[in-house]
Amino acid sequence: MVFTSLNFLLFFPLVAVLYYLTPVKYRWLTLLAASYFFYINIKPVYAILLAAVTISTYFFTRLMDNTDNDDVKKRYMVVNIVLILLPLFFFKYFGALNHEVTGALHKLHLSWPLPEIKLLLPVGISFYTFMAIGYTIDVYNEDVAAEKNFGVLALFISFFPFVLSGPIERAKNMLPQFNSTRLIDYDGIVKGFKMMLWGYFMKLVVADRIGLYVDVVFGDVGSYSGSTLLLCSILYPFQVYADLGGYSLIAIGTARVLGIDVMQNFKRPFFAVSMADFWRRWHISLITWITDYIYTPLSFVFRKRGMTGVVLSLLIAFLISGIWHGAALTFVAWGLLQGIFLSIEALMSKRRKVFEMEFHLEKRWWYILLCCLVTFMLFAISQVFARASSIENALVVFNKMINSGGSLYLDITNLLYAFMSLAILLLSDFRDEFFPGKLLAFESSIIAIRYSAYLFVFFLVLYVGVFSGNRFIYFQF
Amino acid sequence: MERKTLEDKLTGIFRKIFNNEGLTIIDDLTANDVANWDSLSHMILIGEIEKSFGITFKLKELNKMKNVGNMMDIILSKL
Repeated sequence: MVFTSLNFLLFFPLVAVLYYLTPVKYRWLTLLAASYFFYINIKPVYAILLAAVTISTYFFTRLMDNTDNDDVKKRYMVVNIVLILLPLFFFKYFGALNHEVTGALHKLHLSWPLPEIKLLLPVGISFYTFMAIGYTIDVYNEDVAAEKNFGVLALFISFFPFVLSGPIERAKNMLPQFNSTRLIDYDGIVKGFKMMLWGYFMKLVVADRIGLYVDVVFGDVGSYSGSTLLLCSILYPFQVYADLGGYSLIAIGTARVLGIDVMQNFKRPFFAVSMADFWRRWHISLITWITDYIYTPLSFVFRKRGMTGVVLSLLIAFLISGIWHGAALTFVAWGLLQGIFLSIEALMSKRRKVFEMEFHLEKRWWYILLCCLVTFMLFAISQVFARASSIENALVVFNKMINSGGSLYLDITNLLYAFMSLAILLLSDFRDEFFPGKLLAFESSIIAIRYSAYLFVFFLVLYVGVFSGNRFIYFQF
Repeated sequence: MERKTLEDKLTGIFRKIFNNEGLTIIDDLTANDVANWDSLSHMILIGEIEKSFGITFKLKELNKMKNVGNMMDIILSKL
């Protein structure tokens, strides 16, 4: 069951009603049952894996809670992390690794005894594994107490709005909410539905309309001109933003309807004025996870090396982030590029500040615009690697973009819808970035404007949205 | 070491790392209040504090440094 399916549109209202009818003390139980029903509905057998990760995490964090010996605690933490990473490695990386090793040995006329296994990646495994790891480390760091109620921990790891594609939430924020006795908050419910509506607009209209064009071209890069590939490379970051950002808003809105507050996952990323700024606005839940659990321990180890240590930590952290997205060289290149961009920025940041202050540039609109465009361009370049099917394919795209213009392939009607909806999305982000609280539509105090906005977006989704069963991009991760 | 002496010495380190001669530190000061105090400069700050005071932090202690006050408590416990 996915957010854009008819099943979900029946499932969610039913869960919401059942949730609010359940006595406050047992609401977590309703959510847990709904979450497992939701997950089992996708592929029952994978729910066993989800349960196993939960059992291991519960068992070891309880053991950690019962000892004062730091070394023993650390051992429990490491054992649990290794155990719950095993399925992720097996399902996500074994096939690719085995394929590469077999290929390399074949070239040397040697045989490899392990058969090639093609496995479907259990949906959401990268996300719930990271949530379980984060919780385990938090318990070790005494940032959160080990949850005593197994059901509540199981709910945290399987919570249906997040289980498929995040946001990768933290136990510190979620466990107290699952354990608390919250009353019905009408404003919160309305806010949640508004988020969901905007999320559906982002996904079904913006992302999927752009997708209809980008998917065709990137599916066969050899057949399209340089100018067409350039247009697609510019459009693809917007598609991913609308896809994952839309998914996140539906997830956050769903949780909000149930009275649960969740961290923001995207914050107008295309108004970032540097790559560091960009990564504080894009996929925030993943990047803060990587900062806290990978970058910080690494930079702590390398802290005596000053800026060299920072650069090294950035490169490794983003390399891991790339590999997290998939077992392919394209994602390695993507991760390394992010690490390189951020490292160069970190090395130049003092000089940049001095330069900006000397010429009073920080508040000048044309300088902000220039910085936004350069940041976007750097990200778009890295996204070509994320989208291309191989490094060779990505290089073909760059080669064609630079060396051959050619005629532009246009899918006029579809692109018209795509640009129109993208303009609406970016104008809304522009307003929130530079004029917060002004020209409100969904939040207007004038009821006629508010309801007109709801209806306008609702009908846009209904008439311009793509309902051909496009999956969310991040389900593959 | 007296808390006041520590505060003075720490102020010097903060000014150097964040390139801000007017910066004064108080217990409630957090990364949100200081320009350029982000995850990148934080570890350089930590390294500089360790070097200046001849101490070594544990990673676990870093997570407990929610503001400068917490940071000073941890440093004092090691001097």
